[in-house]
Amino acid sequence: MSFLKRFPPPAEGIRQQQPDTEAVLGGRGLGTGTLYIAESRLSWLDKSGLGFSLDYPTISLHAVSRDLNAYPWEHLYVMVNAKFEEEEPKETPMAEGEEEEDSDDDDEPIAEFRFVPSDKSALEAMFSAMCECQALHPDPEDEDSDNDYEGGEYDVEAHEQGQGDIPSFYTYEEGLSHLTAEGQATLERLEGMLAQSVSSQYNMAGVRTEDSLREFEDGMEVDTAPVVAGQFEDAEVDH
Amino acid sequence: MEISHSVKERTIAENSLVILLQGIHGYVTTVDLRDESTALGRITNVDAFMNIRLAEVTFTDRQGRVSQLDDLFVTGRNVRYVHIPDKVDIKATVEKQLQLIHKVRYFGGRDKGRKEFPTARHK
Repeated sequence: MSFLKRFPPPAEGIRQQQPDTEAVLGGRGLGTGTLYIAESRLSWLDKSGLGFSLDYPTISLHAVSRDLNAYPWEHLYVMVNAKFEEEEPKETPMAEGEEEEDSDDDDEPIAEFRFVPSDKSALEAMFSAMCECQALHPDPEDEDSDNDYEGGEYDVEAHEQGQGDIPSFYTYEEGLSHLTAEGQATLERLEGMLAQSVSSQYNMAGVRTEDSLREFEDGMEVDTAPVVAGQFEDAEVDH
Repeated sequence: MEISHSVKERTIAENSLVILLQGIHGYVTTVDLRDESTALGRITNVDAFMNIRLAEVTFTDRQGRVSQLDDLFVTGRNVRYVHIPDKVDIKATVEKQLQLIHKVRYFGGRDKGRKEFPTARHK
């Protein structure tokens, strides 16, 4: 249990906090403590303040197990793509170690955590909270899907209509309201990057209005400031 | 069959076969994972990153041990295959999902009215 470390619980972004939860690694119980399902990472701390954290990108899957034949208590099962030595001390005991190279396993290291809450009815909420947090951490290695916005909502409408009205503003707003602060910052950053790389003929729906399109043609620098209602209130809109 | 509320996710889905997986929500099928384990269950959600949520799962781990899981969420990165049920018409499913995306995108019609940011902005 030498990978256990003392650290303060997460201060923000906690989606679910579950006290009286036992943590089990593989076949070994780690004691009872509090599970923090936070947007940044998954943390567990026992009563003495010792615990560990798991980064969502290292989590392969999680599940609710009520199969008492497989394991005698209902629990949240979490499979992690990393190795946790229960005996020997490691350089990075903070459990962020992605030692995927050398492992005595077949292909890749796997660690199985089980979180057994004393309140079984909380399992669904714990599961859902984890799903939401996982969705905040998409795989950065994903080959194709990330940057291929060509032909999507970003330029189709504006392209067809020349300048101006961008119907997907509606959905952009709708989508924005569903993003967390982190997701929104990511979206804005991506849009900024894409906007800087498109030609002056293009306009990215949801990012620019016809006003900045004129700016483009003037050869002015594109402003990558986040889109804010009222920002373009002085724009001349053709109805 | 719900369409994501995120413009980014809709665009990603539209440009990849994830859109097919989003069209088979509700079907019971098998997902093969990267580590050779398999999960047989009902697909309740697939997002643009191919994260898959399954319900009522029979999970066979890579050692062959079988267990039941009520709910399973597997990250897209760890999905190797998703078996498409035979009765699914793949082309029709993809077309239907694309239609749904377009319905959301062109809500209110292309030429109708001003479509800028609404003044009341909710965050």
